[in-house]
Amino acid sequence: METEASLVARARAGDADAFEQLAGAHADRLFAVLLRLLGDRGEAGDVAQEVMLRAWQGIGRFEGRSDFFTWLYRIAVNEANRALEKRSRRPADVPIDTEASQLPASARDEPTRQAENRELRAALDKALADLPPPYRTAIVLRDVEGLSTREAAEIAGVSEAAFKSRLHQARLKVRAVIGDETLITAGG
Amino acid sequence: MSLLRRTDDHQWSQQHLSHYVEGDLGRRAHRRLGRHAQDCVDCGRGILAMRALVRMIQGLDGLQGVRAPAGIFDRVRASGGN
Repeated sequence: METEASLVARARAGDADAFEQLAGAHADRLFAVLLRLLGDRGEAGDVAQEVMLRAWQGIGRFEGRSDFFTWLYRIAVNEANRALEKRSRRPADVPIDTEASQLPASARDEPTRQAENRELRAALDKALADLPPPYRTAIVLRDVEGLSTREAAEIAGVSEAAFKSRLHQARLKVRAVIGDETLITAGG
Repeated sequence: MSLLRRTDDHQWSQQHLSHYVEGDLGRRAHRRLGRHAQDCVDCGRGILAMRALVRMIQGLDGLQGVRAPAGIFDRVRASGGN
């Protein structure tokens, strides 16, 4: 199996197949991140195409100082922010499609608990969707995607200290929306 | 402990619950919040709520099972990339 370094070298030399193989390995996860950040499948798909185009056009500037996925995600976060900015300038806002809330709850849950979990999950998705983009990005990268603070900060394009500050503020905001009682009961 | 000190501790603790559960406080600050939370029902519950919230968000996963749309490289190809 070809290594990432070799695929990067071929892509930098203009080999589009190598680029597709390289970027394609991260496509599903990248799309999921965009879906979380944008909350709309159609828009996430559109932005994902733009991310791939920009990455392809910029692959010559990728020098391997960071991981390829970190570099790709950084483009994705920038493009998502650009899309959100455009959206905020539109007269009528596009409603957030909280697709995540429609995902099935764990099959292990009892029926009554499933309903409560679905409700809580929808509230959580809404609270995340309502966060200002930098805060939402912090939670998605660090808590949902499980990236390290260093990786997440690099992708968000801020220092680790600034990133942590955003993350903590974001969690406080979500906590305030959901409420301690609900969280403690659900966290049981 | 003066009322002013307790109020300061409470406001500061409420702002640092995420730092506390993340382990992002220095030793003295961690001890300060922990000590305050032992006497303050709101902050004690705040710590439990923050821990539950972080677990819950982490449990959201990255929408595993979601697949990227088939045309994700369409613009790359249209640009002459393939």
